[in-house]
Amino acid sequence: MDAYKLMKELRVNYEQEAHYRPKETGLRLIESTTEGDSRISAKGRNAKVEDLWSLTSFFGYSTQTFVLAVNLLDRFLAMIKVQPKHLSCVSVSCLHMAAKVTEEECDLSPADELIRIGQCRFTTSDLCRMEKIVGEKLGFKSNAVTALTFLHLYHQIALSHSTDRKESLSLEKLEAQLKACLCRISFSKAKPSVLALSLLRQEMEAVQSEDMLEIAYHIQRHLKITDGELLLWSERVAPCLSDYASPECSKPNHRKLQWIVSRRTAQNLHSYRTVPELPTIPEGCWDESESEDLCEDVMSSGEESLSSSLGSDAEGPFFPLHLRRQKHLHA
Amino acid sequence: METTKLPPTSPSSPTTSFSVPSAEKVDGFPRRSMRRARQRRSHSSSQFRYQSSQVELTPLPLLKDAPVAELHDLFCKKLQQCCVLFDFLDCVADLKGKEIKRAALNELVESVATSRGVLIEPLYPEAIKMISVNIFRTLPPSENPEFDPEEDEPTLEASWPHLQLVYEFFLRFLESPDFQPSMAKRYVDQKFVLQLLELFDSEDPREREYLKTILHRVYGKLLGLRAYIRKQINNIFLRFIYETEHFNGVAELLEILGSIINGFALPLKAEHKQFLVRVLIPLHTAKSLSIFHAQLAYCVVQFMEKDATVTEYIIRGLLKYWPKTCTQKEVMFLGEIEEILDVIEPSQFIRVQEPLFKQIAACISSPHFQVAERALYFWNNEYILSLIEENCQVILPLVFATLYRVSKEHWNQTIVSLIYNVLKTFMEMNSKLFDDLTASYKVEKQKELKRDRERADLWRGLEEHQDRRMQMLTEAARNQRNLQERGERGDPPSPSSPQTSHSDQPELKPSGASSSSSGGGESAT
Repeated sequence: MDAYKLMKELRVNYEQEAHYRPKETGLRLIESTTEGDSRISAKGRNAKVEDLWSLTSFFGYSTQTFVLAVNLLDRFLAMIKVQPKHLSCVSVSCLHMAAKVTEEECDLSPADELIRIGQCRFTTSDLCRMEKIVGEKLGFKSNAVTALTFLHLYHQIALSHSTDRKESLSLEKLEAQLKACLCRISFSKAKPSVLALSLLRQEMEAVQSEDMLEIAYHIQRHLKITDGELLLWSERVAPCLSDYASPECSKPNHRKLQWIVSRRTAQNLHSYRTVPELPTIPEGCWDESESEDLCEDVMSSGEESLSSSLGSDAEGPFFPLHLRRQKHLHA
Repeated sequence: METTKLPPTSPSSPTTSFSVPSAEKVDGFPRRSMRRARQRRSHSSSQFRYQSSQVELTPLPLLKDAPVAELHDLFCKKLQQCCVLFDFLDCVADLKGKEIKRAALNELVESVATSRGVLIEPLYPEAIKMISVNIFRTLPPSENPEFDPEEDEPTLEASWPHLQLVYEFFLRFLESPDFQPSMAKRYVDQKFVLQLLELFDSEDPREREYLKTILHRVYGKLLGLRAYIRKQINNIFLRFIYETEHFNGVAELLEILGSIINGFALPLKAEHKQFLVRVLIPLHTAKSLSIFHAQLAYCVVQFMEKDATVTEYIIRGLLKYWPKTCTQKEVMFLGEIEEILDVIEPSQFIRVQEPLFKQIAACISSPHFQVAERALYFWNNEYILSLIEENCQVILPLVFATLYRVSKEHWNQTIVSLIYNVLKTFMEMNSKLFDDLTASYKVEKQKELKRDRERADLWRGLEEHQDRRMQMLTEAARNQRNLQERGERGDPPSPSSPQTSHSDQPELKPSGASSSSSGGGESAT
């Protein structure tokens, strides 16, 4: 696609995006809810979105499916008050709906598989009903303009302008970063076009490409995005991305997952934790060869010195060298 | 016709010959049931030797009724009485004598257990002699030559009614507060201990249980024998591992060793480390590992708790001996690895993590579901999880590809669920690393698909080329035939000599003419 057509498409999408944005008031309400309330909190929503990402990744669905699912979820949650216990059902329905739209028939996993792997408590019929409800409320057909749409367009535009450049922006990396941002509900308040542009700019700054930044500025002017708005979201995106990229590993939440094994394995799992019946026999702190008993025993059986009874070839070639050395290293 | 003779009841000659009538033979060999009936009679007791002149036992007065002055003398006499052996093969022989001995043994046990001041020096040699005479015997060969300790019932000792009391007496003797090791060591010497150890091969588990406790007390109290006992146990194990693969008492000996290892002084002596490396670890290769694995694992873990530096030897040793064809053993090994990891120090973990997780990845991809399950279940262990988390950068790349591949391919749904759990755990640990690996995995997969396509294309191209060549050759052959036939018939050669077309590359003219039937004779142009 040539540059002109791309820009035109960009414009079209920009005008459409307002239709697909979740209601800001609804999002704010979720953000302000505290834990343990009868309403869904930001933490709850974020955790569920992470679960959706796990499922997307596991079933090999594309980022497009994930982004669409999160979009549907946010729009629904901002519109309708949902109880925390139904959140799981809502989110998985959104994922299933998004997958049906985006993925090929052959790549689609059946609903019951989705439920089983996700360790959900509801049934397939629950899922179907919820899908209908979400579809109705959102008037969802099959498309939505999301941040990913813009990201793809921006990427294509950047490529078309700089085909001679050796380094190019990695679309996978941008998609991964977008995914990381979507896991926090605050970014759903941003305009998709602005969010995508912030990500683009961050990456361009990271590769230190002046030409690319020119292109980004060009896009910004084309869409008439204000500097203030762009700056606002860029400032929020930066810490999120640096968190994402940090090499530190965080402790996973261990209790959430169910670990089911077969009966036979479960039976053998803790068979070793038996308390021994025989009391400990402490080794004498004196060298056994010094005890008076030795002399008589040695005379009666003609054995070599007891302390080296086993280690008679302790000096031999088979004796691991480091074992010998370590004896002297111990305090 | 002779009737089948039963073995004579008088035990004067241990070897008796039987004659089997020909009617009982099949194909010239005695039927198996006949053989078994014969053997069972003579092998269920190990007491092959009997006194030729049977001593008649007369009941002695009770110990508790004896006046103090006569107590020790009576005790001695009873001990001597108990040196007489009885034949338990025959249930009805010498019932009176057996009862007298049993009662006497009982009394002796009671006396040693409850009274004080009974054990004086002159009694020691008599007591040890009585014990020796009763328990030291050649163990009979197993009735079932393919005895499988897990499946089959063991052959029990027939003379257990007496033997049990003798063992009980020995145990109480050792545990008595009056017991003097310095006196006992003259009689409980190396020769005695060696014979005691040989008894551990008994098939009767009750006997081994007693022996275990007795040897434990002997080791505890007679310090001068400790090194000898350890050495002999080593010999038994080494013979077991490398020569016979048969010994019934491995589990019991390991249990004793467990309590010894537990009491090792620090720093660990070189002798003990050598024992670990040269005996305990190779013991994992035994076929009958399942019988004593729990005790073996306990010993290994105890070693680790005593001295963390042996960890690397242990893990590398286990990896070296990792079972390749026996999945039951593989599951045991995985259990042991988990126990080891439960107590491992983080600095030691880092040294072994790479080869270890490569093996774990291999287990996850095992088609045997129990092996895969057991390996995946490691991620449910909080301490192991914390170790993995600290070393996520190293570990995740090692298992990632396997996890993904198996999740798509495995037949067992439980495994697929567990893999999801593991992947999700990794995702939560470090999402960027996870995403990077996912991306490179996808790239790899694309490359592989591309390579497969190219390879298929190549083969297809070769086949097509081959087909074309075959076609051309058949054409050429037909041309040749046509020409020959024309030549034979004397037809004039056609203007454009087809003979020139009999070169390597015959032209594919659309002349169905040259390939038509011999009667055609049409020109090739």
